[in-house]
Amino acid sequence: MTLVGLDLDYVACVVLFCVGLYMLVAKSNLIKKVIGLNVMETAVFAFIVTSGMIEGGQEPIVVAGSAPPYTSPIPHAMVLTGIVVAVSVTAVALALIAQIHAHYGTIEVDELKELP
Amino acid sequence: MTTLGPTLLPWLVALPLAGAALVPIVARRDARWAGGFTLVVALVTTSLASVLVAQLASQGPFSADLGGWAAPYGIELHFDRFAAWTMPLAALFAFVIPFSWRYLDAPLPRERWAPFYALMLLNLGGLLGFSVTGDLFNLFVTMEVVSLSSYALVAVAGRGVAAWAALKYLLLGAVSSLLVLFAVGLLFALTGSLNLADVSVRLAAAEPSGAALLALASLAVAFLVKAALFPLHVWLPDAHAIAPSPVSAVLSGLVVKVGIVGLLRVLQLAAGTGISLEPLNTVLMVLGATAIVMGAFLAIFQDDIKLMLAYSTISNIGYIVLGIGLASPFALIGAFVHVFNHGLIKVTLFLAAGAIIHQTGYRTLSDLRGVARRMPQTAAAMAIGAVSIVGLPPTAGFVCKWYIALGAFEADQGGYGFALVFGALFIFVYYVRMLDAFFFRSPVRPEVADAVEAPWSMRAPVLVLAAACLVLGVLGGIPIGFVEPAVVDLLAALGR
Repeated sequence: MTLVGLDLDYVACVVLFCVGLYMLVAKSNLIKKVIGLNVMETAVFAFIVTSGMIEGGQEPIVVAGSAPPYTSPIPHAMVLTGIVVAVSVTAVALALIAQIHAHYGTIEVDELKELP
Repeated sequence: MTTLGPTLLPWLVALPLAGAALVPIVARRDARWAGGFTLVVALVTTSLASVLVAQLASQGPFSADLGGWAAPYGIELHFDRFAAWTMPLAALFAFVIPFSWRYLDAPLPRERWAPFYALMLLNLGGLLGFSVTGDLFNLFVTMEVVSLSSYALVAVAGRGVAAWAALKYLLLGAVSSLLVLFAVGLLFALTGSLNLADVSVRLAAAEPSGAALLALASLAVAFLVKAALFPLHVWLPDAHAIAPSPVSAVLSGLVVKVGIVGLLRVLQLAAGTGISLEPLNTVLMVLGATAIVMGAFLAIFQDDIKLMLAYSTISNIGYIVLGIGLASPFALIGAFVHVFNHGLIKVTLFLAAGAIIHQTGYRTLSDLRGVARRMPQTAAAMAIGAVSIVGLPPTAGFVCKWYIALGAFEADQGGYGFALVFGALFIFVYYVRMLDAFFFRSPVRPEVADAVEAPWSMRAPVLVLAAACLVLGVLGGIPIGFVEPAVVDLLAALGR
């Protein structure tokens, strides 16, 4: 679907990416920063999956009666691996935040900066 | 003999990764076994790497197709002269591991030893995978293996301040990894291939487009964050200073080089596309020269020796990036050699600093006055490392910095040659401060006045590495001869 010459799905990805980036940069709460990172990751995943889609494409499984065009399966495989990586990064980040909270009693960046 | 290379190549990556999975099992009965086992795995991997380098010398480049699917559709591991150039870095692991044996007594409880060594091996496996992969998506995956294990290693010694440093590192690192993933997706959409060689051929065949430029620019920025090039360095000083010393050595000496190797991959990809590399080279030269001066300038004000070494890494990454940006044969040879020599020198310095911190319990220059009286051998190693990193002959640092300076004049960019000398002066100032405090002041702390030399398992790696700094300075032709083929290949790809 296009809107004033732009692919609407790509525009949505860019908007989502910017929302995530804003959260990561502007929010003081560390968990919100990590969620912002996750939103950015989702935007990139959505972009990659979308890039493999074609208008009227079928699932790429060749059985009797199926005919081209097929959608590309490789972006799906890449995104699946990307999700695994993203989950691991999130897990490590949350573990670190738990340690920060246990030690300092806060997860707000502005309060952490004031500590000696 | 003919098929030995392709058969052995997957093991180069698989061995350390499998070793990492086995460490907790080996350590079940006694945590101390983990260290010995890790050293064995690191040594076997290093010997494997040297066999592969020998195979390359006798038969030329070779590749292995994983899972039996041929490139460009299957996943390919590729061992060429470029990959061979990064192999000596892996050998440094074999020095860091025995140093960790006794060092870990102080900062880590026994039950955390197995995770520590497992993470070290994961890191090694990721680094080797990153060097030999011929696949764009695997480049991302191996980079993430390196990054994730690095985040965890920074925080491994516990306590809140380490977790905070690790999280700052993670947030910036994750954004740069995301840029790499975005670029990989974009390049796949543009070319329909993930094989590095194939992508660069197809990019060259296609019309130069804005999307290709966007993909290559994202890759370049992402790798410059990983390399901690000024002003993208903000995550580095805390993470490298707060981590346990063996981890600092690995992060500063090896892990930042992932960014450099990645940057060179981007240059190879971009070479045939018709996209002009001039703007990128100018940016690299300006930022490289700024990093040299700013890194060294900020290091002058540090009292903590590890923080000082971390800022020195920022300045030295500047040298490497400046060399790449100048893109003349001499400058590239200097930059390539400095990737290894800086690794060697920085591992020496961080391990020597670690030995001093372990024996005295202090880490600032003002507390460590006069430490050379009680620990003469470690302090001497530190002095050799310091002279090397300043770049004075006859040490390892002189060779590369001399070549980069020659390269600046060769590329008709003499001004950058002066930036380089100016940076070296700053670096000289802060290492003189350190040597003055260690050698010519009287101890102010009783722990320093009564300190004893570190145990041999810590002292031996430091002394051998310091000796290597001298040997590679006197015999500077050896590393230059080793990297020359890789530089020739890169220059041919760049069409110069």
